[in-house]
Amino acid sequence: MLSAPQVLAASFAYLLLLFGVATFADGRGRSGRSVIGNAWVYTLSMGVYCTAWTYFGSVGRAASSGLWFLPIYLGPTLAMLLAWPVLRKMIRIARQYRITSIADFIASRYGKSRALAALVTLIALVGILPYVALQLKAIASGYALLTSAGAGAAHASGPWWRDSTLYFALALAGFTIAFGTRHLDTSERHEGMVAAIALESVVKLLAFIAVGVFVCWGLFDSPGEIFARASARADLKPLLGLGGESRFAGGQWFALTLLAMLSVLFLPRQFQVMVVENVDERHVKRASWAFPLYLLLINLFVLPIALGGLLHFGNSGSGGADPETFVLSLPLALGQPALALAAFIGGLSAATGMIIVEAIAVSTMVSNDLVMPLLLRLRGRNDARDLSRTPLAVRRVVIVVLLLLGYLYFRIAGEAYALVSIGLISFAAVAQFAPALLGGMFWKGGTRTGAMVGLSAGFALWAYTLMLPSIAKSGWLSTQFMTEGLFGITLLRPEQLFGLAGLDSLTHALLWSLLANTGLYVAASLARAPSAREAGQALLFVDVLQRPANSGSGAPVFWRGHASRAALQQVAGRFLGAPAAQRMFADYAERSGVGRIEHIVADAQLVQYVETQLAGAIGSASARAVVASVVDEEPLAPDDVLRLLDEASQVRALNRQLESVDKLKDDFMSSVTHELRTPLTSIRAFAELMRDDPDMDSAQRQQFVALIVAEAERLSRLVSQVLDMAKIESGHGDWRNEAIDLRELVDHAVQTTRETFRERGARVDVEQPDSVPLLHADRDRLLQVLLNLLSNAAKFVPKVDGRVKVALRADARGATIEVSDNGPGVPAGQQQLVFEKFRQGGDGGNRPQGTGLGLPISRQIVEHFGGRMWLRSEPGKGACFGFELPWHHEEKTA
Amino acid sequence: MSTSLRNQRLLALFATGWLLLNFPLLTLWDRGVSVAGIPLLPAAVFIGWAALIGVAAWIVEARGDDD
Repeated sequence: MLSAPQVLAASFAYLLLLFGVATFADGRGRSGRSVIGNAWVYTLSMGVYCTAWTYFGSVGRAASSGLWFLPIYLGPTLAMLLAWPVLRKMIRIARQYRITSIADFIASRYGKSRALAALVTLIALVGILPYVALQLKAIASGYALLTSAGAGAAHASGPWWRDSTLYFALALAGFTIAFGTRHLDTSERHEGMVAAIALESVVKLLAFIAVGVFVCWGLFDSPGEIFARASARADLKPLLGLGGESRFAGGQWFALTLLAMLSVLFLPRQFQVMVVENVDERHVKRASWAFPLYLLLINLFVLPIALGGLLHFGNSGSGGADPETFVLSLPLALGQPALALAAFIGGLSAATGMIIVEAIAVSTMVSNDLVMPLLLRLRGRNDARDLSRTPLAVRRVVIVVLLLLGYLYFRIAGEAYALVSIGLISFAAVAQFAPALLGGMFWKGGTRTGAMVGLSAGFALWAYTLMLPSIAKSGWLSTQFMTEGLFGITLLRPEQLFGLAGLDSLTHALLWSLLANTGLYVAASLARAPSAREAGQALLFVDVLQRPANSGSGAPVFWRGHASRAALQQVAGRFLGAPAAQRMFADYAERSGVGRIEHIVADAQLVQYVETQLAGAIGSASARAVVASVVDEEPLAPDDVLRLLDEASQVRALNRQLESVDKLKDDFMSSVTHELRTPLTSIRAFAELMRDDPDMDSAQRQQFVALIVAEAERLSRLVSQVLDMAKIESGHGDWRNEAIDLRELVDHAVQTTRETFRERGARVDVEQPDSVPLLHADRDRLLQVLLNLLSNAAKFVPKVDGRVKVALRADARGATIEVSDNGPGVPAGQQQLVFEKFRQGGDGGNRPQGTGLGLPISRQIVEHFGGRMWLRSEPGKGACFGFELPWHHEEKTA
Repeated sequence: MSTSLRNQRLLALFATGWLLLNFPLLTLWDRGVSVAGIPLLPAAVFIGWAALIGVAAWIVEARGDDD
């Protein structure tokens, strides 16, 4: 047994430690060296799932029903397997649209509905409040157990002002206010709080494992001994099994697993740490296996502790110890007060972690979705008074009220059944969010009406089949309606609704509520087509992963109307403070490239931006209403939504095209520069050689000058070709249109290159029909093409017995000219490349002199006249370049 | 590794987990025998659970695109 001051001192020292860690993390966060930007911290912060209900309750549950404590942790494990596809999507949605609570998430999806946000908040509040009371109760009974010999004297007695639990509650409210409502951040991140929660997760895990190790190897010799002794006792043996296939309530096991699976995603505190506080969505990967591992570790010793406690204390009654407090009473009974104190601190961390995060999450919801809308309505829309301090003040008040209500609930209902069973009842309440939330993330057809009807029905059935009976069992309500049914109608008995019997009350309630919820959600959604606003939000939610992750850019904006920049800035200033609004607009001006705030165009993008930023501070439903009150909106039809979506995707496609054109241009510029540098370098080298050696003999000098001239010629050829290319590509080329006799053109080209081929020792054969119709094109350009092909062929024919064939053919559609040689040919891999700029044929060693622009220009010319150019080649068998030109073609309108 | 492959693997693991840790497969282990001093059923549940975690870690930590 410990003295009260000892326990109190240790507890407040622990709270001080939390305070220190949170202050440190907040400071580091502000200076840009965050301690929470880490997948392990993220994983540990999820450990807030394990509350005092886990810490003490699991052992109690195991002591009464064996392995039945496990589905509560197997469900989250299964849920986390789908974290990468599902949770990541939730995070992406929340980040892009500045969603800061689960109520906001659902309301935002269904057209930013205030009513829906309020309903979700209400459900969360009703479900969570008793759960907070349960945490306070755990602290109180743990404290009582440690400080008084009489076990089980859990419930606080004496006047309320002497009750330390009240002061715990107030201290926690202070902590939550300090780290949860320090400033109004539009992303609602709380680094200090997350760091503290991660630490709490470590503390409760270590404390629980310490007790487990003590029980297994201190109190007994090994876990094996515990199991052996337990299975020798007829009353304990059933705890090691499931009672055989016939007696195993598979349905209930399934229901519990499903319930826990949904809760781990939808409990407000889980949403807060997993979605809102997420720093980097890649952390989800680590968490998706490490969080289940945490759950496994914290459950490893539950069964040994439960069995060990039952063996040690004898069956409940004789020793008198409540299995729920074995974690404390076992070390205490064996003279290990230090361990008992550590275990109490572990339980304290489990309880405080839950209370802090839940209070932040719920206060955000209550403030954004219940209080602020009321306040706005009371003040009237045109009231321009500064409200930037209001949301934080409201949240602070809500946190204090929430904790005091929790305390009140605990004082009134401390020992009642309603409190003991509240863990699962809470879970069942938040599970009602599943159809609207998951449906909204993956199905575009869900509507506001569907969500509203489904949620209401689910909540009503939850209250009737689960909450009311638990209240009645606590003795505050006549149980008559349970045994005889409402109004004496047997079919309406809450735990056998419509005569459905044979299920435990939780499975029964879950079945009916989720069935009605999902069914009505789908049915009411399908009853009418989604409105424009719903359809727009559906697209934004369901397709969120198809857009780039950074910022909201590229997301379509479903808004049309007129707005003024000044009015928007004023309304932003009203809720965020004028300096913050100024920064926000300056940021927008910079990102949109207009530079100054005065130059911002008040378009749909800006309206969307302001509304999103405001949503982070006051919730999306309120933000919608506030923005709508200062702009002039045109209603959208569902068709408009599709059109706007189309436009957005066109803009994205155009942007991508521009980017790739930009890149092409850069490539081209760097190639040109490179090609210009090569001849320049040799010109300079030869010139320097001549300058430095005045005695150079004239023959040598002559040779160098000749080289310089040749290089200069190559340079000017290159420049004129680049200009040529640019002219053709930009569509500014001068094109003549004259009648050309192709036979004459071919003869002319062959004549012109005759000397070149003679030098190479190659023979040129011409093959052409007797007469060819006249072709309308630019003669000089076509000659350029032909000369280019011929001079290419001349470069590649072998030194001995080179042969080149020029073939002209004509058919009904057009004329074809092919130039083939018997050179080395072009490898298959390079055949496409030769038509690209600055890609010359031949390998490094025998790269012929050329600019690398001849073939690209030729191809452009041929294509200008509606023809096409190709290359056929088998390596070793020569190359055949050809082009065809149609007799008639559409003039390019360039 | 493409996201879709990763997601398919996770989905398959999810289904396996549901089957493994639920009625009726769970009752296979309820035999009243012990392995190394630990009753078979709790041992099997915890080992199956750990295996799920291990496979999940292998799937998500494998190299690949994040998008």
